[in-house]
Amino acid sequence: MGVPIFITAVTNCCWIGADNCVILGILGTDLSWISKVQVNHPAVLRRAQQVQARRTVKKEWQAAWLLKAVTFIDLTTLSGDDTSSNVQRLCYKAKYPIREDLLKALNMHDKDITTAAVCVYPARVCDAVRALKAAGCNIPVASVATGFPAGQTHLKTRLEEIRLAVEDGASEIDVVINRSLVLTGQWEALYDEIRQFRKACGEAHLKTILATGELGSLTNVYKASMIAMMAGSDFIKTSTGKETVNATFPVAIVMLRAIRDFFWKTGNKIGFKPAGGIRSAKDALAWLSLIKEELGDEWLKPELFRIGASTLLSDIERQIYHHVTGRYAAYHDLPMS
Amino acid sequence: MAWQHPADILLEAWLDTQDRHLGHYVNGKWLKPEHRNSVPCQDPITGENLASCLQAQAEDVAAAVEAARTALENWSTLPGARRAQHLTRLAKMIQKHQRLLWTLESLVTGRAVREVRDRDVPLAQQLLQYHAVQAHTQEEALAGWEPMGVIGLIVPPTFSFLEMMWRICPALAVGCTVVVLVPPASPAPLLLAQLAGELGSFPGILNVISGPTSLGPVLASQPGVQKVAFCGAVEEGRALRRTLAGQGLELSLALGAESLLLLTEAADVDSAVEGVVDATWSDRSQGGLRLLIQESVWDETMTRLQARMGRLRVGRGLDGAVDMGARGAAARDLAQRYVREAQSQGAQVFQAGDVPSDSPFYPPTLISDLPPASPCAQTEVPWPLVVASPFRTAKEALAVANGTPRGGSASVWSERLGQALELGYGLRMGIVWINAHGLRDPAVPTGGCKESGSSWHGGPDGLYEYLQPSGTPARQPSLSENLNYDTFGLAVPSTLPAGPETGPSPAPPYGLFVGGRFQAPGARSSRPIQDSHGNLHGYVAEGGAKDIRGAVEAAHQAAPGWVGQSPGARAALLGALAAALERRESALAARLERHGVELKVAKAEVELSVRRLRAWGARAQAQGHTLQVAELRGPVLRLREPLGVLAIVCPDEWPLLAFVSLLAPALAHGNTVVLVPSGTCPIPALEVCQDVATLLPAGLVNVVTGDRDHLTRCMALHQDVQALWYFGSVQGSQFVEWASAGNLKPVWVNRGLPRAWDQDAEGAGPELGLRAAQTKALWLPMGD
Repeated sequence: MGVPIFITAVTNCCWIGADNCVILGILGTDLSWISKVQVNHPAVLRRAQQVQARRTVKKEWQAAWLLKAVTFIDLTTLSGDDTSSNVQRLCYKAKYPIREDLLKALNMHDKDITTAAVCVYPARVCDAVRALKAAGCNIPVASVATGFPAGQTHLKTRLEEIRLAVEDGASEIDVVINRSLVLTGQWEALYDEIRQFRKACGEAHLKTILATGELGSLTNVYKASMIAMMAGSDFIKTSTGKETVNATFPVAIVMLRAIRDFFWKTGNKIGFKPAGGIRSAKDALAWLSLIKEELGDEWLKPELFRIGASTLLSDIERQIYHHVTGRYAAYHDLPMS
Repeated sequence: MAWQHPADILLEAWLDTQDRHLGHYVNGKWLKPEHRNSVPCQDPITGENLASCLQAQAEDVAAAVEAARTALENWSTLPGARRAQHLTRLAKMIQKHQRLLWTLESLVTGRAVREVRDRDVPLAQQLLQYHAVQAHTQEEALAGWEPMGVIGLIVPPTFSFLEMMWRICPALAVGCTVVVLVPPASPAPLLLAQLAGELGSFPGILNVISGPTSLGPVLASQPGVQKVAFCGAVEEGRALRRTLAGQGLELSLALGAESLLLLTEAADVDSAVEGVVDATWSDRSQGGLRLLIQESVWDETMTRLQARMGRLRVGRGLDGAVDMGARGAAARDLAQRYVREAQSQGAQVFQAGDVPSDSPFYPPTLISDLPPASPCAQTEVPWPLVVASPFRTAKEALAVANGTPRGGSASVWSERLGQALELGYGLRMGIVWINAHGLRDPAVPTGGCKESGSSWHGGPDGLYEYLQPSGTPARQPSLSENLNYDTFGLAVPSTLPAGPETGPSPAPPYGLFVGGRFQAPGARSSRPIQDSHGNLHGYVAEGGAKDIRGAVEAAHQAAPGWVGQSPGARAALLGALAAALERRESALAARLERHGVELKVAKAEVELSVRRLRAWGARAQAQGHTLQVAELRGPVLRLREPLGVLAIVCPDEWPLLAFVSLLAPALAHGNTVVLVPSGTCPIPALEVCQDVATLLPAGLVNVVTGDRDHLTRCMALHQDVQALWYFGSVQGSQFVEWASAGNLKPVWVNRGLPRAWDQDAEGAGPELGLRAAQTKALWLPMGD
């Protein structure tokens, strides 16, 4: 992909995406900065390695950080064998993520600690909405869409998928981008597609999954992040969890830097969601400290940061159990999700 | 404090085993002599007294050196494999007690424990393992070399124990034993010595004594000490160089801690900003950073840098979540003074970060708009300061970067391969990282040039620091106390016409050979040369200070062209010179014969000289190589670069052979030279110059005849002569060593000892090749 083509593509975007012209108006005058962006792979890898060891929090600080991490989780089930019963169980866990007595011991039982959202396949949205209503809470339901996870279906059906999920009550839509557009350098077309996703979402939040494991290079990750944000995503998300390489620190660093650049250029804060492969409490802490380091405390809230995970929650609960009781929990000590 | 970290408890327990009273560790035992002063070892943050440390006196130093000498007999004669085994055991010992080691180091130095635990301690083990491998293959790979003997190592206060490891590992591996002089109140080296001592066998190979740096000369003067390795501040190194002049031992210096970061517009700016953090604000290096930013990305870089600084955390080193600790009052005061001065000279100062308000901490600091001509801009940047200045083009960046007396380490940030390599090769630095900063590995030589001192550790170069060619005579303390440095070689004895010239042959053209032609000397006077019968052979020009100046200028002008030649082209020219010498054989032999050399021997000398020229031409082809480093994707290039303008004072003996034997390796490695030929018989060298004039570029070789002491003085004191080889008197050697402190040029002196120039080992050995070039390590990480 030659840089000049990229510039024209992006410049053209400004005229096509008429209803997003506020942001693009700011960006549109000078876009040469995007083409100048350089991502040095080995340097980012080194930074990624450091960031995981740079901050260690222990004791009550650790417990506090872990509880905070719970509130960022998009509790997820995306399996072929999902049925209403396990979705219901998931929703209940989302409402009561940590055992009540443990929270009481930490004096956090009245802080209404829940996960940030539950995330399911479009066909299970109704089940989730119903279950959460029954549990009496307003945790949002997120649905993946647009031919998840590969995105290799017709645009028409992908758009229809979004509309149906929104109709069913999903208030957040996780769309996957068309990787072939990135790999062949069709940035304008990519921008167009995400614009259409945006429209189809209506009021619902749009989280754009970049599937970074399949984009080829970190420079592509940066550019795709930038396009996704310009096209109106509320969040950019690392991966579907179905690729061979999922949320890694190097791609996260590049995406976070793109978010920061976008904020500096436009004043708009876009959210970030790593997903896939985040399983341990220790991982979660490293992610939190990465956000704090790269973007600052203002991004550490559910409106701007989510972790897509399914098994992470039980490990966090396990750590909290240990912090409170001084013992390591048996498998049956903690309710399953 | 109510709750104590288990690491603290461990540390206290260790200090209690010494009754909170630390002595020296000599010959596998703690040495606690009575009636010594002691200094408190304090937690730099709280000021809490941890222990008291004894200050060594001369007798303690002598005891340590004695132990090292005794141990040397056994240690140096061991098979390399046995030494390798011992080093491996020490690596394992460190692994077993690493927690104590990192706690102690972090607590006492105030550096962030993360850096000590995750980087220094593993690197210390890797160093031991790497050098164990080197010891294992020593008999094969380093045949012809022998260990120097007892090594004295002087480590200054602000340096971590790792600096000591970098030096003791190669020394021990090749069979030397070590006495380390550490500043009082730095217990980590003592702990290391204890760990080594507790291995049981070979107790005296590593001895650590704590005392002030002023004991350095005492350590050096102990009989048996063959070499002193010093790391620390530039001025201290200079002073030590002067003090140790003429003492007959080798001195290697590693000075200063400032680093340089060169950020071009083609860089990944965010990553480069992390590079700045690595370089100064992560407790990795000892010094500050000079940051050169291309004008077109100046604003963007400053914004990002300042945003990043705001997220840095400063605090107690043992806190697991800080970026930067404290380095004690001295370091803080130094930083404060620099900042205040910079402000008064018109600089902008930006400080940020989460810094505790109590006293020992100093915030990350960014200085900009410092006028380049201000005094501050010339001095070394201290920790934790970054001084940023803009540049316009890559060419200008090189000029600015190379325009300081420092030549330690630098990094280049550019995504354009061609530009990055151009800058990497062009920087006159010991280490250059491309798109990274501060990477270290035992297999990669680390060192510097110019005033950063020309000593190396790590890699093959680190080993040679502690080796000498087999059969080198032991040190003879030869300090001529009354050598007056102010007057040595100052005056040139005047010469009058000395009677009729006898003999048949017309002399070679009269004059000094400077800039490719024979020129009249500035002083317009001559000196007579006598043959072996005492008859006047002819007159040669009497060179002086102005002639040296002219010769050095000519050599500098010729340097870029000669460096730019490929080794093959250099070899071809040396070959052509050899052929010319061959054609001139009878004339040269006749010259030598007149000076009392038997004709047969004279012919052999010419023949050998011809061979030397050809041999060095061939050797020049194979220089430098690529190193493979664990955990780094991509190569590290070990480059062998010319020293620059090399001044050579040839010995009186072997007037032709010694001249050629010194000239050939110098030229083959890309240096340009100013030579002073044999004093008694300079004519053969001038004969050779006639061929040099027609074959080699002008200014490449300059030959100045005259009073040797005077010319030596001029060259040794010349700040723009980049290295000096001296083969002459004891006094001359001492003077050269003393005067080299000026620009800290590497020197090689013979201390009045003769050298067998006709033997290949001494006349054409690998030692000459090693001395004729300097190493540069160029790191090239790769990835997309």
